[in-house]
Amino acid sequence: MSSNSEPNQAQPAHAADAVIKLCAGVLPVWVRQLAASRSQSEVAVTQMLQAFADIGPHINMAERQSQQITDALSQSDGVTSLTQACERLLTPFIQSQQLPPDAAQAIEQVLDMVRKAVSALELIPQPFTHETQMVAEQVERMYIGFQYQDRISQMMALMENDIARLQQVVNGESAELPDLAAWLERLESQYAMEEQRQNHSGIGPNGANDDKETTFF
Amino acid sequence: MAKTILVIDDSASLRQVVKMALTGAGYNVIEAGDGQAALALLDGRQVNMAICDVNMPIMNGIEFVKAAKALAAYKFMPILMLTTESQEEKKEQGKAAGAKAWMVKPFSPTQLVNAVSKLCV
Repeated sequence: MSSNSEPNQAQPAHAADAVIKLCAGVLPVWVRQLAASRSQSEVAVTQMLQAFADIGPHINMAERQSQQITDALSQSDGVTSLTQACERLLTPFIQSQQLPPDAAQAIEQVLDMVRKAVSALELIPQPFTHETQMVAEQVERMYIGFQYQDRISQMMALMENDIARLQQVVNGESAELPDLAAWLERLESQYAMEEQRQNHSGIGPNGANDDKETTFF
Repeated sequence: MAKTILVIDDSASLRQVVKMALTGAGYNVIEAGDGQAALALLDGRQVNMAICDVNMPIMNGIEFVKAAKALAAYKFMPILMLTTESQEEKKEQGKAAGAKAWMVKPFSPTQLVNAVSKLCV
């Protein structure tokens, strides 16, 4: 009977030793892989931002030009007021009894052509304005999207540090015996984002609780 | 003359996002990677406002605000904290240190430019 119980007592110690050796070998690999992933995501986003910075001024210029065209058309001496000006100037002649009917009809035709030409001109900037507004909205979304790399990087950095700390314990380099509650408490104290806290407690992530408003003091 | 904003963040990509948003609105932007580098950059320079992260190596954002407010030339320089931190306790620390506003990342450029134009008068 004792020969059967001996291996059962020795096995947990052997297993624990194997787990410690496994962790000692695997944890540094995890740390290096996390660090490399973080670094590469930073490089990728920086390059995308640089490319975006190069086209940004062109987008801004297109937006300004679109606005300038709209403003130019709507000014008091612009195309939009041309119809009204023509009508104001020519209506007295049309109403004049002295004007031959053919001439009045010709003036009406000219006025009609002016109205159509002005309407056509007014329609020109509309799609352009719509496009530049749409681009501006997408640019705003891109600015926000780029910032998620920073959040991810912070989360990964914290995991890197915690794995490195665990590695010290596994290697017997820590002065204190590990305590789960204290460990988790310390980890939680280092969170910056509500999303991290929700993940930690298993509630989330829903990512919806971070304050989106600016607080002025 | 364009107003100068000092942007302090250890993330180069985040600094770039802020810079793009502000230069597009006509501001001049100078950058630092942490509080200590930001203090070195101030050095009597005309800076109208600072935008500062909280969690940074070497010198964090709260320490920077305290240090900047201790300098006579920058005592009244408005400082906006731009951070992933959203806890009220942290906000109170920022307020007590002398920060004028607190904005949580990710931010929209419109939100940032509005806050800057309100603070940087």
